[in-house]
Amino acid sequence: MSQLQPLIQLHQMAESLMNSQEMQFWLEKAVTWGQADSPDTQEDTCLHLSRLRDFLQQLLAHINNMSSTTETMKRLPFLGQFLGRLCWNPYVTADATSRRLLFQCLWGLYSEHPGNAVERKANQWIRKVFCQLATEEDDAAAQALMKHMGVPPEEYHLKVLRKMVALLQENIGKSCSSICNINQRCSCDRIKATSEACVPLITCPEAAPLIGVLLQQPVTCVRAALSEDFLDALSSAYSSQCLSLEEQAVVSLWYHNLSSLEEAVLSLLECVLANTGSMPQKLEQQLAQSLLPKACAQHCAIFLHVNDIFRSILKQAEGTESVKYLIQTFTSCFRRELVLLQHQTSVSLKALFPQSPQSLLVPLLTLPSEMPREAWRHHLNWLSGSLQRLTEEEEEGDGDSSSSTRGHHKLFEAWFLLVQCAQWVQVAVQLLVTSGPEDCGPLLWLLTFYHHPTNRGHHRALQLVHAREAWDHLHSLFLALARPLPADHLQSLVTLLSPQPQRPALSPLLILNLLVNFAVFFQQSLSGSTEILQTVVDWSGLVDEAVCVLNSLELRLNQGSCISSDTNRLHLRIKALQNTLTHRREALCPAENQAHALARSKTGVSAALFHPSCTCSEAPRGGVVRE
Amino acid sequence: MEAVLKNLASAAELLAVAAHSGVVEQWDKQTLSRAFHWARYCEHIFSRFHSNPEMRGIMEKQLQLTNQSLRAAFPEYTEVSFSDLSRCQHLLLVGLLNNPELPISIMKILFDTWSPASANQSEYQDVTGFCNHIIQCKSACKVLSPFTGASAVGADAEVQGVMLMERLGALLSRGGEACRAEHFLDSVLQGCEGAAEHFCLVIAAALLTTKNSAAQTASQGFLLDWLHRKHSVLQLMCSALPAALLIDLAKEHLKFRDAYCDVLKKWASDMEYSVSEGEWVQTSTKRTVSFQKLTEHFLALFEACPPLREDVEKELNALNIADGDFDVRGLSVWGDLLSALNN
Repeated sequence: MSQLQPLIQLHQMAESLMNSQEMQFWLEKAVTWGQADSPDTQEDTCLHLSRLRDFLQQLLAHINNMSSTTETMKRLPFLGQFLGRLCWNPYVTADATSRRLLFQCLWGLYSEHPGNAVERKANQWIRKVFCQLATEEDDAAAQALMKHMGVPPEEYHLKVLRKMVALLQENIGKSCSSICNINQRCSCDRIKATSEACVPLITCPEAAPLIGVLLQQPVTCVRAALSEDFLDALSSAYSSQCLSLEEQAVVSLWYHNLSSLEEAVLSLLECVLANTGSMPQKLEQQLAQSLLPKACAQHCAIFLHVNDIFRSILKQAEGTESVKYLIQTFTSCFRRELVLLQHQTSVSLKALFPQSPQSLLVPLLTLPSEMPREAWRHHLNWLSGSLQRLTEEEEEGDGDSSSSTRGHHKLFEAWFLLVQCAQWVQVAVQLLVTSGPEDCGPLLWLLTFYHHPTNRGHHRALQLVHAREAWDHLHSLFLALARPLPADHLQSLVTLLSPQPQRPALSPLLILNLLVNFAVFFQQSLSGSTEILQTVVDWSGLVDEAVCVLNSLELRLNQGSCISSDTNRLHLRIKALQNTLTHRREALCPAENQAHALARSKTGVSAALFHPSCTCSEAPRGGVVRE
Repeated sequence: MEAVLKNLASAAELLAVAAHSGVVEQWDKQTLSRAFHWARYCEHIFSRFHSNPEMRGIMEKQLQLTNQSLRAAFPEYTEVSFSDLSRCQHLLLVGLLNNPELPISIMKILFDTWSPASANQSEYQDVTGFCNHIIQCKSACKVLSPFTGASAVGADAEVQGVMLMERLGALLSRGGEACRAEHFLDSVLQGCEGAAEHFCLVIAAALLTTKNSAAQTASQGFLLDWLHRKHSVLQLMCSALPAALLIDLAKEHLKFRDAYCDVLKKWASDMEYSVSEGEWVQTSTKRTVSFQKLTEHFLALFEACPPLREDVEKELNALNIADGDFDVRGLSVWGDLLSALNN
């Protein structure tokens, strides 16, 4: 301990030495800022504000570490002068964080039990500073008017601030709308200056309307750019969630500042992926609340950036079902917003999807509900054929590494577009229910490609065979009228659903999707369908997953992208199936629950569904496909 | 009524204690919130009764009584008048912050940042951050003020103009209070001594506030009549306010237009020809306006109100004829003004 003492002292001395050097720098700054009220000093203050906060934070820690004010004053003799100067710098006192830290430093210097004259004097001074800050008016006329009109200062200042904000708002709105010469002075110069002045006011609720207008003013003039400091300050306030901006202002912030956009997308992903298995309806709500689909519809640049993020997430997460579902839902929300804005914007699809295979763009982006039902099968066969040709072309060039990388990229983009427009995959599944053995080939290929986009190890042919097997078993099971159910088909189906370490397994979700669609759409009695669904689900332990598929089917039915002449009947059927499965889940006793969990962990399906980092089906890896 | 009077007396006592008594040392957050609650109650009493002369009289009398006894107890005590009640929270704050016995913990509450988490579950409104918010608003105003050049009068004068109209409206609303309103304007004018030009801006802003009701039109009418009687203020307005603002006022108010025109004519009549300068100059020691400036005022006014031109020119012509109608520069200010206007 005694050996440590000198070391600590040495450390403290070094620390205070550094502080006094820095102190000198900041004291000089404070003096300069206080001397002139020119635009240059204002700019300099705003520029240094964030560093000043850090310094004040450091200073506060330093003050709190000292045993007494006398000691602090001894170490930092100019501290009082420095803090005092800052108190009368409106840029510093307007900024919420700086103000808080500044006040805390002053409180830190206050001695509850002053031990000497210095401390008593310091106490008096601190009281006086606070009193003056809160009650002193430097405008004598204003003070006289307030007194005579009986208006309290707190109300008066608030009114003046609101008035200023309103005037500035109006003023910004009047900025020039012509494209003017960069060397020419124009009224737009003030936009940059005003945005700079707003740096300390970012979190001030009264200034929010002005910040909103600044963010949303159309950039028609080269001189109307916003200050970078302003955008940085907004972005950091946004990430610490202390901004009170209107929706449209937030969209504009994303447009101006990519890092806040990224933050918004990542927090959406986090929030959605943390609650997977939740109702699809809730996902749509979450998406709408995130404002992102709306922002994407308004600004092509935002959409492109969000899509880039989705791309990389999809590669990292290897096509986890929940991520795919999020992307699909996001895209359809985006398309809806785009339709709402159609009369205002005219961005071409090509500009929105520059990397996608152009021949597939319109066919995939056309919603099933926008096409006659009779045309669906033909449309899907065409899609399947086109994609198949694309894969063959790209995979042929595998030998040559550069063309192979290019090919993988093209293939990924085709698959990414299919993920975005996965409602067509759902239609394919539904059509498979009513297909015969002779015409289910192209649809099964599309479904398999969706779940297994890479042909890693040339497995696609085998996976296709398994998909066909699964379809055959389901077809036979649902055709069967006699009971008990044919055990051979049941057993084979459950085997296909179980993990197969030796061979490339078919995505259990692919089979589950087929199973649920058969249960809902096949011309089989409800009791018969329920029995099959329940048996397979019980045997494989995929209750939650089946409920999830049912829920999203229900949502799709509401949106009108299902073949059905009798929506009501289908709704009742889905409800009945949902009830059976939910009761089934609830009825499981704890022991069974354990077994159930065990089965689930064995299949690995639930983990894949509920955790983005697990593999459910594979996507082209980022390592293989480099953009 | 009796209860209200008793409460008023207590409020004055509270203000006295807050400012001068060592008792505040015992205060905690709860006491502080209650004191502000009490002050808000007084502000409410003020807004409820200030336009009722009878009630106000009774309350003023009560306050006088309380003031007397409080002065006996606290020598430094400053009397509280009925009109002070409108800013009771502010008075309480000033008193507290100047009281050396105020515990530092109470000061910290007032200057702290308000957050939902720090809100107490008290029956009274939370006062945390009361001063913090004032400082934020004041600082923000200072930060933004260099950029608000768009307003002809300035944001502060605009707000003050609205305040003036509100107060005037309240005083006039009960009828028969014209003398009080008059007195009010006089006292504001007096209070603005040393900032007379700023007061002109406030009047201009008040006259330019949008009229949404008959009461507001009446208040502006009253203000114009008052201005008519205060010739010095009117003259100062005409010489100190920016030309564009004067034109706005002339367009908005016929009464102002005529008064403005009269001031211009008065300025002209006060001019004499200075041979040394070769120009008409004002005779008064304080030369507020040059001949050139005077001409510009007239021209701007004519441009804004074209029908005025004919009348004024007819008038100037008559005055010129009365001066002898000589066509020589430097003999009649009217003749020279006419030729300058028609140049």
